[in-house]
Amino acid sequence: MKYAFFPGCMIQIRYPQMEAAVRKTVPELGIELVDLPELGCCPDPVFFKSLHKLDWLTLAARNLVIAERAGLDYVTICSGCTETLAEAAHLLNDDADLRARVNERLATIDMSYEGTVHARHLITVLRDEVGLDAVTATVKKPLEGVRIAVHYGCHLLKPRAIMQVDDPDHPTIFEDMLAAIGATPVDHTERIICCGKSCRDCDLPEQMTRTVLESIHAADVDIMGVICPSCFDSFDTGQLKLARKFKLGFSIPPVYYFQLLAVAQGLPAEAVGLDRHKIKPEKLLVGAGAG
Amino acid sequence: MSVGDQPVKINHAFREELGLVLEGDGVNYCYQCGACVGDCPSARFSEDFNPRQIMLAVLYGLEDEVVGPDSPVWQCSNCFTCFDRCPQDVKPIEVIIALKNLMGERGIVPKGVDRLVDGLMQTGRSAKVTSATHRRREELGLPPLPELDLEPMRKLLEAAETEGEEPE
Repeated sequence: MKYAFFPGCMIQIRYPQMEAAVRKTVPELGIELVDLPELGCCPDPVFFKSLHKLDWLTLAARNLVIAERAGLDYVTICSGCTETLAEAAHLLNDDADLRARVNERLATIDMSYEGTVHARHLITVLRDEVGLDAVTATVKKPLEGVRIAVHYGCHLLKPRAIMQVDDPDHPTIFEDMLAAIGATPVDHTERIICCGKSCRDCDLPEQMTRTVLESIHAADVDIMGVICPSCFDSFDTGQLKLARKFKLGFSIPPVYYFQLLAVAQGLPAEAVGLDRHKIKPEKLLVGAGAG
Repeated sequence: MSVGDQPVKINHAFREELGLVLEGDGVNYCYQCGACVGDCPSARFSEDFNPRQIMLAVLYGLEDEVVGPDSPVWQCSNCFTCFDRCPQDVKPIEVIIALKNLMGERGIVPKGVDRLVDGLMQTGRSAKVTSATHRRREELGLPPLPELDLEPMRKLLEAAETEGEEPE
């Protein structure tokens, strides 16, 4: 299976351990990632879109065309990139006038969007194309006894009609993928609420992040699983700030799904940067599943 | 946010201006059912943010309330729950994003957001590359970050700026 790889700015620049985890785990799964060096920011579906929506769509369209020209579909590894690319393709495929308008802009750089490309998050590709059993078959050290609560975040699943991944109110994809690598998914009450990272001019980010953390704390877990670098940011540096401000009295290590997969595939935790996280996932560092 | 006690004269000019932003006209289909509110995380934690009330203010064309300096729209979490819930396909989140676009045009942008967007315009990326970035990537065995040719992205943004102008 060959895909155009869309690593995204935040992961490439701020959290390269996530990119390392992806690059080191996918060969085992029969996935080949093709790098396209001319890719710019997706662009970000919150701030850039909020100031210049048509520019946002145009730059996203350029990224879509780059994969179209390579004759490949995208895999993304950040929920924000996934949302931008999937929504941009949806808007352009759905509205001929809008597509003509954007193509007029793209013509200035000799490009044209044709509507042949799909963008999906890698976790969706693992479920739908690789298959859960095939993922399990790559596991050498199952994460037995590791209790993990999931934070879904928003943009992997919503808007539902565009993302077409799972029921955003009752998703199971993340828990299914955790079970596939031997971990124990643990339910909690605020599983699908937003981390709050995009709110501005208010104290909503800390209220939402705190609500998620307290819900997960009550579930008594070793790790919280995330699938998006923005959510990770909220629960990594964001959690440290909250802990100081509100004297939380607990800490929960956030870990990106593909870092968990890497450890389950037998890679050392250091190879995917887990030893450098601000809140260290001790359960993985001491040798998960080694028993 | 309130629509006040006085009889409201609808400001159609503002609604037309909003309608020019992509998906800003979805609000025309809003019948004020409130389905967007129940699962809105921002409405849950903030008394100032209520997507139904924002849609109502837009329907009246209460410009100052929705794009003035005290507009609550930047409290939106961008979670897309209202997009999924709305029975009329209003896409309240997209109407709110259109309102933010108008705020940007009026020069009212929250601290930090303009810096982030300027950075993206200048580097093509939405995060800042430092020497530590390169070092960390190398330690993890990752390929170097590709040098980005900014020319195509600049050209696209320039094409946007001159759109609608008569060719010289």
